[in-house]
Amino acid sequence: MGAVPAQLFPEFLANAVGVEGLLAEIVSSLIGATVVASIILAFSGVAGPWAKRKITAAFTDRIAVDRIGPFGLLIIPAASVQLLAKELIIPEGVDRPTWDIAPIILPASALLGFSVIPMGQIGPLNIHLADPEVGLALVFAFASIASVSLVMAGYASSNKYSLLGGLRAVAQNLAYEIPLIVTAMSVVIFAGTLQISGVVGAQTETLVTIAGFDIPSWYAFVNPFAFVLFLTANMAEIGRNPFDIPEAPTEIVGGYQTEYSSAYFVLFYLGEFVHIFLGGAILSVVFLGGASGPGPESISFIWFVVKVWGFFLFTQWARAAIPRVRIDQLIEIGWKGMLVLSFANLVLTAVIVGVIA
Amino acid sequence: MSLERQDPVDDGALERTPDELEALLGDLVVDRDDHLNAPGFVIRPDTVQETLSTLKQEAGYDHLSVVSAQEYENRYESIYHLKKYDDPTQEVSIVVPADKDNPVSESAEPVFRTADWHEREAYDLIGIEYDDHPDLRRILLPETWQGHPLSMDYDKDRPQIATLPEHANPLEEHHKDAESDTMFLNIGPHHPATHGVLHLKTVLDGEQVVDVEPDIGYLHRSEEQMAQSGTYRHQIMPYPDRWDYISAGLLNEWAYARAAEDLADIEVPEYAQVIRTMGAEMCRIAAHMLALATFALDINGDFTATFMYAINDRERVQDLLEDLTGQRLMFNYFRLGGVVWDLPEPREEFFSKTRDFLDQLPESVEEYHNLITSNEIFQMRTIDTGVLPPDVAKNYGATGPVARGSGVDYDLRRDDPYGYYDELDWDVVTEEGCDNFSRLLVRMREVEESAKIIEQCIDLLEDWPEDERNIQANVPRTLRPDDDTEIYRAVEGAKGELGIYIRADGTDKPARFKIRSPCFSNLQTLPEMANGEYIPDVVAALGSLDIVLGEVDR
Repeated sequence: MGAVPAQLFPEFLANAVGVEGLLAEIVSSLIGATVVASIILAFSGVAGPWAKRKITAAFTDRIAVDRIGPFGLLIIPAASVQLLAKELIIPEGVDRPTWDIAPIILPASALLGFSVIPMGQIGPLNIHLADPEVGLALVFAFASIASVSLVMAGYASSNKYSLLGGLRAVAQNLAYEIPLIVTAMSVVIFAGTLQISGVVGAQTETLVTIAGFDIPSWYAFVNPFAFVLFLTANMAEIGRNPFDIPEAPTEIVGGYQTEYSSAYFVLFYLGEFVHIFLGGAILSVVFLGGASGPGPESISFIWFVVKVWGFFLFTQWARAAIPRVRIDQLIEIGWKGMLVLSFANLVLTAVIVGVIA
Repeated sequence: MSLERQDPVDDGALERTPDELEALLGDLVVDRDDHLNAPGFVIRPDTVQETLSTLKQEAGYDHLSVVSAQEYENRYESIYHLKKYDDPTQEVSIVVPADKDNPVSESAEPVFRTADWHEREAYDLIGIEYDDHPDLRRILLPETWQGHPLSMDYDKDRPQIATLPEHANPLEEHHKDAESDTMFLNIGPHHPATHGVLHLKTVLDGEQVVDVEPDIGYLHRSEEQMAQSGTYRHQIMPYPDRWDYISAGLLNEWAYARAAEDLADIEVPEYAQVIRTMGAEMCRIAAHMLALATFALDINGDFTATFMYAINDRERVQDLLEDLTGQRLMFNYFRLGGVVWDLPEPREEFFSKTRDFLDQLPESVEEYHNLITSNEIFQMRTIDTGVLPPDVAKNYGATGPVARGSGVDYDLRRDDPYGYYDELDWDVVTEEGCDNFSRLLVRMREVEESAKIIEQCIDLLEDWPEDERNIQANVPRTLRPDDDTEIYRAVEGAKGELGIYIRADGTDKPARFKIRSPCFSNLQTLPEMANGEYIPDVVAALGSLDIVLGEVDR
């Protein structure tokens, strides 16, 4: 962030056109939201049918899609058509409309989270929809709505595997939400604000200068312990290996998503990818200096893309390499390990910040 | 020397002559009916438990390999093939005739738990009823099946109509009575972790397993009957490839070859034995690689890299096997008296390809250790889960890596030598952990031992004089073993003791052909491992058993 904080995206739009008033605010907000959602959905579109396959293939000595289009890229439209063209099978005895709403909630809640995420600048354009004072709390709230969707899907599917998946989702989220947020709190103590622009802004100062390079005071460098804790809890929050327990295809055959097909399945899948990107976005905002990076401010969107995709790559790496823990072991790690460590981190941070300040 | 047993011989392994055994059993013995492999004692159908427990307690026959049943013109007969885990060359057959009109025989289940499934199969296919059996139901065929297919009066043209109401539908009833909080869950027959069409009837308390009952038979293809309608010389050999079809083909073929060669008194040339030994060990590597791959899949979840790496390595062995046999899966390479053709020309190329594979193998194994066995999460998941104590393993007739993972030092390649194994330098691998982790480790270490064996075979084959490369003995075009000769012979398959019982009736086809499948016995131990554990542990235990449904159901 420079000396003059860049305008938020909707304001920029309104100013550019030169209109004012409530209606203009609503319209420009809607346009802004559409742009942001499109970016994220485009990420997911590339990630789901193509990037994920290519990345997994690279980890497992395979080639993956390469028949249609350059590097197999045309698999993206092909897969979209194929998935949507499939028959939507509605099993007997499902609890409607809960069963229909669940696949909408997951991607919707994850997309909502992006409303407060600063995604950097493209030229003069600052892709940041809103910056409320409680931004950080809000983004966690949005992210955790996802588990409601999983429980709804698991319960409404009228399938025992789905039910087990739903139960696991609740247990997992309870075990990991608290350490996640408590660890984020330690960052809030450093930054002194819940406002996301404040948290990001606090990370722009130079921590140390090594051989002419300015190392920014990203909280990942300031408090690497908290970073590791947060990263672990984040993996559980988005339900990826080693914590993909609510799905666990080799145990409970996909868990909550067992009974979903066609468009509903796509929604779930999409939601999961958006959720991974949201996880990456939160991680970069809280610990990796948001969208900041070397180079001028006007290209910082690139740094945002690099960071969230880096996180995506990390989840795929974990998926290829790390075994899945058992549900009772996960609960144990969450309540007996992470919770204690995260509170210890919080207290230590508070003491250190108190002494220094 | 590695082939010698390390543990001291105790009283149980004390060898007794057939006459001493007869004296031990005393009045229980009604008659003698010796088989080619073992002395046979005929007993009355109501003294099965007494006889077997005497042999188990006092003579140390602690391994019930198999129960083979058959129908004669004038009687039914169950044969209990007993062995010792300490020395499987000491065998004894207990022959139990049952009345033709009312075939009832006492169950051996209270003495050997493994008799449970074996007797159910005998009831299902032959029609002998076992008194005192805890759960005498059909096991391979559907509950509604009419008649017993291997009995003499079975009408195979009769249509089998299984009406809907007769089907037990576990979903129909509300599997939750007022008292209990348990949930009934069908795992399979279509489930990613059942490794084939296996159905586990599971009762859950939350995530914990209260009871699990394997339901098998979905892949039953009448292999025994098909073998009974083929001639010894050529028509049976293709079938064994289809039992354990996870590249263990040559190991299975050897089981039939060994039984039939001993039955017809055929001597196999030494050169062919070396080729057989080499080919069989290649199959073992391929089979264990797949076991490792799928186990990683069960623990890590889909998309694990370990799966593809192990499949890659398996692919390299498959290439070698393809060069050797001309086939990748259904080899049909063994012939009675030898193998079908010599090593592929140019021989040097085959040798160097094999050596390349062997040179690269330690690196691969090291990588698997890095990827899975040394991973803390993997250890957390597998150590002390799916525990199978050695005495339970023996009681269930477990063999192969499952038994050796429980510290039961039993390997037919060493204990009942065949082929060229006793001339080579290798070790039997055992692990004392009794858990999922141990069973995996046994397989990984056995791959290294197999590599040692292949290397020695290659050395031998390279230097074999050209004029002594005899790949097949002279075997008559038609084999007619003597009437009423019976034999049970086993080899160490990829999953354990794979045995064949053959009764000859003087024709060119076997009168009874019984397959002792190691997976069938090993799978029986699943409830012992899984009860009280979590669902993921059931999946892990099943993966560590490494069953192939083609062999379980036959």
